[in-house]
Amino acid sequence: MGYEWDFAVVLRDSDLLLLGLVNTLKVTILALVFGVPLGLGAALLRLSSNRLVRGLVGFLIEFFRSTPPIVQLFWFFFALPLLTGIEISPFGASVLTFSIQSSAFFAEVFRGGIVSIERGQWDAAKAIGMTRNQTLARIILPQAVTRMIPAFLERVIELMKTTTLVATVSYADLLYQANNIAQSTFRPLEVYTVAAVMYFAVLFPTSLGVRRLERHLARSGATTAH
Amino acid sequence: MGEVLRVENLHKSFGPNHVLKGIDLTVEKGQAVVLIGASGSGKSTLLRCVNFMEIPSDGRVWLNGEAVGRERNGKTEYREHSLIPIRTHVGMVFQHFNLFPHMTARQNVMEGPRTVLRLTRATCVKRAEKYLAKVGLSDKFDAYPAHLSGGQQQRVAIARALAMEPQLMLFDEVTSALDPELVGEVLRTLKDLASEGMTMVVVTHELGFAYSVADKVVFLHEGRIHEQGTPDEILVRPSQTRTRDFLRGHATFRLPEAQF
Repeated sequence: MGYEWDFAVVLRDSDLLLLGLVNTLKVTILALVFGVPLGLGAALLRLSSNRLVRGLVGFLIEFFRSTPPIVQLFWFFFALPLLTGIEISPFGASVLTFSIQSSAFFAEVFRGGIVSIERGQWDAAKAIGMTRNQTLARIILPQAVTRMIPAFLERVIELMKTTTLVATVSYADLLYQANNIAQSTFRPLEVYTVAAVMYFAVLFPTSLGVRRLERHLARSGATTAH
Repeated sequence: MGEVLRVENLHKSFGPNHVLKGIDLTVEKGQAVVLIGASGSGKSTLLRCVNFMEIPSDGRVWLNGEAVGRERNGKTEYREHSLIPIRTHVGMVFQHFNLFPHMTARQNVMEGPRTVLRLTRATCVKRAEKYLAKVGLSDKFDAYPAHLSGGQQQRVAIARALAMEPQLMLFDEVTSALDPELVGEVLRTLKDLASEGMTMVVVTHELGFAYSVADKVVFLHEGRIHEQGTPDEILVRPSQTRTRDFLRGHATFRLPEAQF
């Protein structure tokens, strides 16, 4: 028996799916806006000369990298309000979770980029009297960031895929909208196909861009000759 | 003739590794002092203790008659922020150039005057161009390090140190990483600086350079000054066996005055 594909129902609700996509992008972008600076801060603390700070931040980073994001999301959505007495919206919990979760990964990307810069660069900056912070800001990070771009964008793609978890706390992201439409129309095949294509339409060009950028950086010798 | 640098009883250990075992050294204004010795003898560590890239384990350093660090309970304390002015007065050039690859030659040279000395942008540009011209790179202001030869990169590094207008320059094996045909241009730059009266301490294996440029040659052996004197005394008529052994090891070193 052949299945009768009928995309008409999906098209009828396409505005709901688009809204879902916008919501997905909203969480992803906000998680980046908060997660990247937080990650940089965590990376710098992890490279601090203070052992206690280094150890504590290292533990936090590992904790968030080594627990499932869905557990973190449930914790922020269900458990945190019990502790603080403050209700948190699905949107708030989603942004909070993914900001912190992605910052743990970005911290490792930043740290990797920073430690990949040769010691000689620190030496040269120190020899002309630059402080540690000046050296980081003017010499180390500008070079590290160039080297980090591929790993960084890889994480962005991962992040957007992981945000599908927010559907579990009823945040109306693309997957959540697709679930609803699938249930009301009894057309899961069409609905999920379209949802998958929408994710693909955003992520595939991004991933192509990453690869092109990687090739470009490799060609330009991306920084250091020595 | 004032004294630019005085080092007294300098010790440096890295963990159990006792690298410098009590160095005494003075450098007068305008002098070029060349440090020679086998690898591991402590030459580079001594240089790095002079501008406090490494903190000495014991002993004292005076720059222009002023002791660096504070005496406290019999120990000398060095605060990072108090070492910054020291480093701005002592230039250092490295074996591997360590140019900032994301900056042009001009930007490399401007960086110290701009970020550390906080001079105006226009002053920094003028200074950078002046010192790049001085090392013979007037046509390379806008070149990135990756597009320069090793010898050119090292000369940019020299200009970068000179742009701080230091009272003392330290050169740490600045020709060791260069292809043989590029060594000459860098040594010539050093020679010009010496003849203009720049005070400098040079660690090098180029004994011919040491012979023709040094006011004083210092032979280091196992973390101690084994012998020091004029180039003639050390390189031609060394009194110590170890110095002679070291010089014999440098088979390529032939003095033009070999007859005496």
